[in-house]
Amino acid sequence: MGAHDRPPSKHHNPHAHVIHQPGRRLLFKIPLKFVWNKVAGHGKRSGNAALNLVSFIDFLITTVIFLLMSFSASGEITVDKNVKLPKAENVEDIIDAPMVAVNGNQILVDGTLAGSTRAIEELGRMQKIDELFNLLKNKRELWKQVQPNKPFPGVCILQVDQNVPALVVKSVFQTAAFAGYPNVSFMVGKLPKSG
Amino acid sequence: MGGVDVGEGGGKKKATNTDINMVPFIDLLMCTIAFLLITAVWVTNSRMNADAQVPGPPNPDKELTPQTPEKVLNLHIGETDFALVWKQGATVVSEVRVPKPPPGDSPIIRYSDLAKKIESEWNTNGSHRDPSDKKLDQAIMHTDNRTPFKEIIAVLDALYATKRKVKLPDGDKDLPVFNMTFSVR
Repeated sequence: MGAHDRPPSKHHNPHAHVIHQPGRRLLFKIPLKFVWNKVAGHGKRSGNAALNLVSFIDFLITTVIFLLMSFSASGEITVDKNVKLPKAENVEDIIDAPMVAVNGNQILVDGTLAGSTRAIEELGRMQKIDELFNLLKNKRELWKQVQPNKPFPGVCILQVDQNVPALVVKSVFQTAAFAGYPNVSFMVGKLPKSG
Repeated sequence: MGGVDVGEGGGKKKATNTDINMVPFIDLLMCTIAFLLITAVWVTNSRMNADAQVPGPPNPDKELTPQTPEKVLNLHIGETDFALVWKQGATVVSEVRVPKPPPGDSPIIRYSDLAKKIESEWNTNGSHRDPSDKKLDQAIMHTDNRTPFKEIIAVLDALYATKRKVKLPDGDKDLPVFNMTFSVR
C-alpha cells in the first residue's frame, strides 16, 4: 500500500497532484482516523464482509422447487380475447381437444370463423350451425385418418363468453353433438375451494 | 462459502478441507429460475363436463330387453327459484323448490343453497352409489333461452358439488354424482 498505509498528512505535498500510487481511493480524503482505519482494513472489523450464502441458496432452491411444481409442459391454452370466461369451483383439468370459442358476435373453431352468434339470437330459436358442423366434422375425419386404430374420444371444449345467452350455447352444444362430439366441456376459470 | 469437511488429514502436502466453488451452482439455480419464470403459465383454466346423450348404434347381436327407466333429475332454472324434479319415465317421483338468492354485487354467481339441496336430493333418490358403478346419475337442465351463460355455469357448479368415489383403472377418483345435459325442444 505504501503511502496509503498512513493517514493523509496535514502538510501539503507539492507533487501529490502529479503522480498517484495505485490503490483504493474511496473515503481516503476524509481526515478522520477511524474512517481511514475502516477503509484500510486496520480496524477491528474488516471493510470486506463475507456474505453468508446458505440462506441465499436456500431461497433459490425453494423458488426452483415451487416453479418446477407449477410447471406445465403442455403450455398455455389460448383463450379468445373477446371471451370473458365464467368461474367455477368444481372443475377438471383441461385436455387436448378442438376449441370452439363463442363470443358476442362470432363462433370460431381453433381461430377459424364458424358462424355468427347474432344470427342465432335474431332467429330466436335453436338451430344447427352449418359452418361449425362442417368444420368439426372435418376435424373428426382428420383425427380418424391420423389415428385409425384408436376410438374417437368425441370431446370438444367450448370457450363461451359469460354473457352469451343460453340459446346460442344450446345451438353450439347440439351442433357439436351432431358433428360427432357428444362429450362437450365448458372452459371456465378455476375458483379456489371454499370451506 | 460452502465447504466439505473430510476430517483431519494426515498428509502434509494437500489440505483435506476443500472449499466448493459455489458460483457455478448459484449460476445454475439462477438460469433454472429464469427459464421457469419465462415459461410459467400463470392463468389456469379448467373445464366442466356435459354430455349430449347421443345414443350409439344398436348392437344387432344383442337381444333388446325392456328396462325400467332410471330416475332422472330435471333441474328447472326459473326467474325466482329452482325446481328439482325427479322423474322416472313420465312419472314425477318428487319435486322440490329452492328460492334463488337475490343478485349481489359480486360478478361471480354462486348457489350454495342449491348445491346443498341437490346433495340431499341425491342422497334420497340417487341410483348410482357403489364405487364400482362407473355410471353417473343423469341431470337435465331446463333453462330459458335468454339465461346468461354465467348463470348456467353457476347452476352446473352447484350440480357438480356433490361427489362420490369411483373405482377407475388408474385408482379411486372423486367424481361428480351427476352428468348434465340440456333439455331441448
